[in-house]
Amino acid sequence: MNALRHSLVAVALVGITQSAAADNLDIVVPFAAGGATDIVARSFEPIFSEQLGVTSVIRNVAGASATVGTAEVADSEGNPNIIGYEPAGALSIQPSLKDLPYGPDSFTYVCRTVSNPMFLMVSKDSDIDSIDQLIEESQEYPFLYGSSGPGTLPHLAMAALTVKSDLQAQHVPYSGSGPAMNALAGNEIQIMADTETILENYDLKPLAVFAEERIEGYDDVPTFGELGMQDLDFAVWQGIVAPKGISQERADEFAEACRATVESDRFETFADKAKANIAYLGAEEFEAFVARRVEINKQVLKDAGLAE
Amino acid sequence: MDIVLAAAADAFTWQALLAIVIGTWAGIIIGGLPGLGSVVGLTIFLPFTFGMDVITSMALLIGVYCGSVYGGSITAILINTPGTPQAAATTFDGYPMTQQGRVGEALGWATFASFFGGVLSCVMLIIGAPQLAKFAVNFGSIEVFALVCLAMLCIVGVSQGSTLKGILCGMMGFLFSMVGSDPITGADRFTFGQYALSSGLTLIPVVVGAFALSEVFVRFASRDDEAARIPEARLTFPGLRDIGRRLIELIRGSFIGGLIGALPGTGAAAAAFISYASAQKLSPRRKNLGKGEPDGIIASESSNNAVTGSSFIPTLALGIPGDVVTAMMMGAMVIHGITPGVRLMADQAQTVYSLFVVLIIVNVAMLILSKPSVGLFRYLFKLPQGFVMGGIVMFSFIGAVSVRGNPLDLVVAAVTGLLAYVLRRGGYPLAPLVIGMVLGPELESSLRRGLLISRGDFSAFFTHSTIASVLFILIALFIAGTLWSGFTQWRKDRAASESPAA
Repeated sequence: MNALRHSLVAVALVGITQSAAADNLDIVVPFAAGGATDIVARSFEPIFSEQLGVTSVIRNVAGASATVGTAEVADSEGNPNIIGYEPAGALSIQPSLKDLPYGPDSFTYVCRTVSNPMFLMVSKDSDIDSIDQLIEESQEYPFLYGSSGPGTLPHLAMAALTVKSDLQAQHVPYSGSGPAMNALAGNEIQIMADTETILENYDLKPLAVFAEERIEGYDDVPTFGELGMQDLDFAVWQGIVAPKGISQERADEFAEACRATVESDRFETFADKAKANIAYLGAEEFEAFVARRVEINKQVLKDAGLAE
Repeated sequence: MDIVLAAAADAFTWQALLAIVIGTWAGIIIGGLPGLGSVVGLTIFLPFTFGMDVITSMALLIGVYCGSVYGGSITAILINTPGTPQAAATTFDGYPMTQQGRVGEALGWATFASFFGGVLSCVMLIIGAPQLAKFAVNFGSIEVFALVCLAMLCIVGVSQGSTLKGILCGMMGFLFSMVGSDPITGADRFTFGQYALSSGLTLIPVVVGAFALSEVFVRFASRDDEAARIPEARLTFPGLRDIGRRLIELIRGSFIGGLIGALPGTGAAAAAFISYASAQKLSPRRKNLGKGEPDGIIASESSNNAVTGSSFIPTLALGIPGDVVTAMMMGAMVIHGITPGVRLMADQAQTVYSLFVVLIIVNVAMLILSKPSVGLFRYLFKLPQGFVMGGIVMFSFIGAVSVRGNPLDLVVAAVTGLLAYVLRRGGYPLAPLVIGMVLGPELESSLRRGLLISRGDFSAFFTHSTIASVLFILIALFIAGTLWSGFTQWRKDRAASESPAA
């Protein structure tokens, strides 16, 4: 009953705020409503706008691997009332892959919110139990690995692995993690790299993790470094960016609100439910982090023959 | 048994029932407004569910979803403009019936078929979810390719008049669907170097342009014509005798929808077209199809609503969302701490059973709310036609842009509207264009994935699996049957034209 009353009040409030407030904060989410990134953004938004003391509106601007919405943020140079809740791909992969109206230096970086390391996984029914065995069996008949689309992190992580090891595997992209999981269940593909959420939800077996250290809760899953394959470090992360040309004061406000949001109990409770791993980075570290990822990803794309 | 009762008790709280009524009614109206469809409806209601408990929020969302799939048929029948792409096939017979003054009958059949399809698919979901999920897993890229090829053949059936013109429009829709990112390599294509085009053309703006805007233009051109006036909306439910006579049609349509709904990535619009094509081959009244035959409405509406229930099969059994709509539902579940996945049925049995109960109540609510909803549209359409058309243009553009917030979609809707008007003037059917748009992306990506899997060997497609072989045989039979009936028709025509000369 309480819940319903809240909803009704929310309806009324939305109506009032839409008409009254002119300088709403626009939070662009470059995916359609309801997706994995959108849900984190929608849980982040109420706490963030409370911290900032403004009313904010989430705007889903989807398309072209999340670059359309990201381009809109980059294009709003000097506008202090727009930020983007960005996925890793749009900031650190797509600029090296396509001719985009923005680059890594088109933004004022605010913070990184969450980051989930990726695992290499096979079906639970599979008789393959280790990376060595996987590589060995692939010599006779190459495997197929799936991804949630061309140029996504699952694709990139596997492409990097095939370059850095003797694994013989070919890429088959799907239109999202769901269809790829369907294909894995039907043995159309044999390998997939994705996050803990996917690993937990489906009947999958992790063979190794694309991280520098072992992950809590998966203590017997080795890192690629331990297996003698260096620099295979891939995670699915999200963060906040604002356009270039906003005042330092405004940028600090954003950064402070973001830090407070990420550290809040409410966000932590949600992140726990959604298996989003909170991994805060402040403005400067985030900018340096993105710059480093762009370089690494560019090299992978080059090595795998996906970009010049 | 206890768990079923407990689940029913969860679904029969007044909050859940109120959510169902509000959701279903809003869904019907949103679905009925051209341009605004299931996804927009769910986007509007999703934020309100954050403060509700799980069952109530699911009840609201399922209500909006099922309501919107049904609602699309109201405008499809009344003004030849499907409110949602899923209802595009309903126009083929629905609008001719309206022109013949059989509005009440047409809406009655659409409502009853929607209800029937919805309930039958709930039953399929409850009884056969694990088995159907296993069946869906066996549908790999190659099987999907075969299925989509079969569906593509219905272009021949819906191109009233000229098959050649129909195929041409189908190709045009297919070509439109290719603009943007290549699904396999990710490279941009057909963008003419314009960044704006790299996000591609999506279905809703094209459907809005092809049906809603072109209809407005046609009506504007013939605005003094009394025959084009919007008739008064009425709803007469079919009698038991009529239902009995067409029961086979209802069951076949629901079954096709139920099966297609269980496959990830196909969806209600494709189901409606495939079901319509099967009615053209199998209905005892197939000669009348396209001229105002209730069987056509039944084929379309029973199958598109049957998708609503069975689309939960991959979501609930495997945690794999079948389409955008179920993906949004999955998102709503995550917010409430339920993680869909292979263990959902085992770990959250009570919640899953409550969902089943909710689905059935929603379909009953839809049946009850159909009368007041149609009444509302009757009231709306009594306004001077200029206002109605103005409203349609407005909602069309809102719907076109609200899917993904991309201004390009406004341009796409407007340009498609003009193009569709020209095509209609030239006697080109528009349904194939939409079919090409709906099925094109799946046809292309399943073919190319299939080739990756078979290492470039297309002949391996035919022997890949039993399902694939059966589907390819059906395709061959369909083509042979169509050619044969075309040939006999041609011989009859020739004989008829020669005999008076002799």
